[in-house]
Amino acid sequence: MTAPRDIDPITLEICWTRLVSMVDEAAANLVRAAFSTIVRECNDYAVVLTDAQGRLLAQSSYSIPSFICTLPLTVRHFIAKFGADSFKPGDVMITNDPWLGTGHLPDVNIAVPVFHQGKLVGFAASVAHVPDIGGRLRSPSNREVYEEGLRITPARLVTDGVTNDTLVTLIEDNVRVNAEVMGDIWAQVSCNRSLAQRLIDFLDETQLDLDRLGTIMFARADAAMRAATKALPDGDYQNELLIEGSEGDIRLKCRLTVRGEEIAIDYEGSSPQVAQAINVVPAYTFAYSAYALKCLLAPEIPNNDGSFLSIATTAPLGSILNPRFPASVGARAMTGHLLPPLIMGALAEVLPEQVQGAPGSPLWAVQLAGTHDGRGFATTFFLNGGQGALHDRDGLPALSFPSNLANTPIEVLESRCPVKVLRKEIRRSTGGAGAHRGGDGQIFEFRIAADSPVTISFMANRTSFPAPGARGGEPGQVGVMLADGAPLDPRLVSVLAPGTVLRLETPGGGGYGPIGA
Amino acid sequence: MYRIAVDIGGTFTDGVIENTETSRIWIAKSLSTPASPGDAVSRVIADLLEKSGASAEDVVDVVHGNTIVTNTLIERRGVRTALVATAGMTDLIEMGREVRYDLYDLHLELPPPLVPAELRLGANERMAADGTSDTELVQAEIERVAAELRALRPQSVAIAFLHSNVSDRHEVAMAQGLRARLGSDIAISVSSHVAGEIREYERTTTATANAYVQPLVETYLRELEGRLQALGVVAPVLIMVSSGGFTSAAAAADTPIALLESGPAGGVISAAHAGKAAGLRNVLAFDMGGTTAKLCVVIDGEPSVAHSFETARVHRFKRGSGLPILIPSIDLIEIGAGGGSIAAVNALGLLKVGPESAGSVPGPACYGNGGTEPTVTDADLVLGYLDPANFLGGEMALDVGKAREALAHVGARIGLNALQTATGIIDIVNESMAAAARVHIAEKGHDPRSFTLVATGGAGPLHAVSVAQRLGVSRIVFPIAVGAGSCLGFLAAPARADRAWSRISPLAGMDWEELGRRLTAMRADAEAELTQAGSDAAACQWSVVAEMRFGGQGTTIPVSLPYRLPGDEFAGELVELFTRRYATLFGGVVPSARPEVVTWRVIAVGGEAHGSFHWPLDAGEIVAPKAWRSIYLPKTGVMGDVPVYDRYRLPPGAAIAAPAIIEERESTLAIPLPAQVRVLADRAILVELDA
Repeated sequence: MTAPRDIDPITLEICWTRLVSMVDEAAANLVRAAFSTIVRECNDYAVVLTDAQGRLLAQSSYSIPSFICTLPLTVRHFIAKFGADSFKPGDVMITNDPWLGTGHLPDVNIAVPVFHQGKLVGFAASVAHVPDIGGRLRSPSNREVYEEGLRITPARLVTDGVTNDTLVTLIEDNVRVNAEVMGDIWAQVSCNRSLAQRLIDFLDETQLDLDRLGTIMFARADAAMRAATKALPDGDYQNELLIEGSEGDIRLKCRLTVRGEEIAIDYEGSSPQVAQAINVVPAYTFAYSAYALKCLLAPEIPNNDGSFLSIATTAPLGSILNPRFPASVGARAMTGHLLPPLIMGALAEVLPEQVQGAPGSPLWAVQLAGTHDGRGFATTFFLNGGQGALHDRDGLPALSFPSNLANTPIEVLESRCPVKVLRKEIRRSTGGAGAHRGGDGQIFEFRIAADSPVTISFMANRTSFPAPGARGGEPGQVGVMLADGAPLDPRLVSVLAPGTVLRLETPGGGGYGPIGA
Repeated sequence: MYRIAVDIGGTFTDGVIENTETSRIWIAKSLSTPASPGDAVSRVIADLLEKSGASAEDVVDVVHGNTIVTNTLIERRGVRTALVATAGMTDLIEMGREVRYDLYDLHLELPPPLVPAELRLGANERMAADGTSDTELVQAEIERVAAELRALRPQSVAIAFLHSNVSDRHEVAMAQGLRARLGSDIAISVSSHVAGEIREYERTTTATANAYVQPLVETYLRELEGRLQALGVVAPVLIMVSSGGFTSAAAAADTPIALLESGPAGGVISAAHAGKAAGLRNVLAFDMGGTTAKLCVVIDGEPSVAHSFETARVHRFKRGSGLPILIPSIDLIEIGAGGGSIAAVNALGLLKVGPESAGSVPGPACYGNGGTEPTVTDADLVLGYLDPANFLGGEMALDVGKAREALAHVGARIGLNALQTATGIIDIVNESMAAAARVHIAEKGHDPRSFTLVATGGAGPLHAVSVAQRLGVSRIVFPIAVGAGSCLGFLAAPARADRAWSRISPLAGMDWEELGRRLTAMRADAEAELTQAGSDAAACQWSVVAEMRFGGQGTTIPVSLPYRLPGDEFAGELVELFTRRYATLFGGVVPSARPEVVTWRVIAVGGEAHGSFHWPLDAGEIVAPKAWRSIYLPKTGVMGDVPVYDRYRLPPGAAIAAPAIIEERESTLAIPLPAQVRVLADRAILVELDA
């Protein structure tokens, strides 16, 4: 193999684009084959290529922020556990361990090694949110990860081409809709394998040394991110916010230390971990922190191993942003989605034209399970609150942020499970006032139409603490949840009788600037 | 007998007339007249009649396509439109799917709905997912809605109720009730008839878009028939639709949203036709103009058709930033790569090309109109692919010095000279087009190497050979470039009618009798449309297409059977076809998963294929080069002299060896790689790259 001393900028541009394009192609295939609504309607997946050391070369463009930099870490855990010399071309590795993966059990991580001319050159990896992972319904009321479902610690699903039938059976026997779950897992495997083949074809054609190419790409991304960071004056920037928990309020606190080209975020002072499934593992803490900074400073820089070298996050072990095993973590989004508004709040005075008022997020989710007409059903759907206002415009109503999860069409929802949607409307005038108004939340009212009681759980907060405005803007209105007109505690798993009418009113976004400014 | 095709484009209105006995064609062109688009149409038709010597009464049909619908939606110039939706659901079109099309852009804008909140009314009625009625639509409610509408004074009304894709009963009752009460001055669009597909946001948006343009298109078409009569043409007007077929003027006036992409569809049909004429049935239609490149896969002579499309995007190249429209539409991908695409160095120190375009003003640096940023055209010029003295037939002199200067300026930032920057730009833009094609072909489960590239557009022939080589494609066809490609597509297009019925059902639990009734009704409806368009419905190819997936999946795969009424054996056949197709696309099937159907379609495609067009040339035949010039040869990485031929003088059967340049008025065929070049019977040029 020829390893040129340097790679000219044209070849580099073409090869870089080729790597991103092959990852996007594999991702498109995964989305089309997926059973999970959350994968295909909501982009709750990621596909990556790493080098042989597990350093990120390219990530699929449309993935939600939760997965920024998580898969390469998972690949490195596989390498550490199995040993770099142990991989064979037919191997497939799997794990959904929250601490080694993305922070909760439904995200299944799959990686395959890629060999070129007999040598391990990299890994093709994917993560996707499967339709079910066993355990109780996802709810903040789960107290330990054991309640949340099946935990697959790093294992070979396929060893040198031979499927691990014991593991497959174990998964099939411990999840609810097992055909769909295994369908998604095999779809990931075939996505990874086709991506591996694309990489091999690419290396055959270009005869490039992937290590060298990667090193150059990382250096470029690192330099660009550092240059963008210079827009931030040196200093310490702080912010904190409160959000309702099950047993007392939860505090999130950050201190950003900006020194030259580097940013360190310390979450010291945030609440300790809780016996409630809203704890956030460090990889997820990092993902949403890095996401916020990328939006503010350098939206156009592609994600690779170099992109976030200049950014570090820390939180004390045992805190809600770095919990000890076996903390429950299933509803981690309820906490993690607050990190971008927390960080934007800290930087509002130095980046006044970039930040937005806090959105009416974290997203709301409804999980339903039961039987109707003699058949079991289980489904999840999402609702979003209003967007935070910006320095030059009002926030939009009902828009997903910081995640990017679509609603499920009512016609699809009602074809699939026994609910009747009575109303889905913009919740007018619920965005915070200000020089620019925050976006409005929404009203979603539905009736349980099953012939037997239905188990229901939620992710829903900002029912006591509204989304704050930015730079003097007013907060948005808090969310409301009612069952037959009476308040319902969204933190609990409830069993609702047929005919019950639920009314969910999502929070409005925060305004921007003082009224009349 | 004669047939006429007229296409209104952004800049020009093109026309072609064909003598149906000899297949001889004549062409005409006029500047478009946006204020009154019919003016240019009249002018072009008069010109065609004169050139061909045809008498107006010998014209048997006029096939027409235009950009009225697209432009009206982009410029938001439609009529005052109201929406009647299921009560409680009037905000759906404003909320959309609640997602952001750009994850990292906090300042993104979404397209506002076509109907503002004050013109949206809720009606008390409700269908369930199985098509039974939960809340009946009563006469008093229709009366109430009619009274409210009277006060709002809309020119057009869209009706979109939940689950109308399963049962249209309430929508139809509301439409009839409103028509009776409001009179025929108000146009009415019914969502289940405009697009009978599941997903309320998308279907409602489609219905509002149809309502928004309907009175304008109806008026335009009525006026057009008057214009034709004034010219003595009594033939029916047929309207090209996005799916690559044509329909009657009456059907087009009723569902004008189907016209959305008629021009590009005509271009693809034209490319598919050129491939067929050369005996090549798997074609990648490749069109590259000033701002964009468009690609479409044609399998076995049939362009692939998608059933949703996005229009009036806030950001032209950002998927998700437009309005979703559920109509059958030729499945084109469009990327921001054209002659005017600008090259610049980004934050990573890499050279990027497009999607920003220099447009025609100021245009590429070499136009000398003040453009200073280097474009793809500047690179083509410096590499010798374009002749500075022969651009647009010599009408516009290009300034090589200005091009070189612009290239050198940008190249200096990354240590490249003008020539290196030019080769870099060409490599990058060709790779980006090849990459888009690679993904598009892979999504259909095919291997690019089995395709032939058919190149059109001003810049397509300059880049086609290199794009093909990157894809592993060895054959390239350059159709006769009359500068009216869409019009040839209009003439070659078959009659076509599409009907859809969405209802999610596993095959195991399918009610075949009900399906039979639905298919029969859809066929009858489609037959009426075809007959109206003057086509022989019985001679059409009729098929039933089931959009299938495994229960729980979201994306469907179309499975097609010849039309017949279904029985129990239908399920077995569909499952077999589906699993085979699934395995091709995804490398295996899902054990124990249940196949289901989401949408049933009845599709009719008309009659026999059109033969080759005959376009005689005036000038004498010469096979010898008219000149030699130095071009960049990628194989050796240096400039070298190659022969330059005049396309208009190359006779059918002529064979030449490449590298070579072949010039025509509208474009230049750059063949910088070793290849065998032949002129085919219809004067299309076939290039076969040496292995």
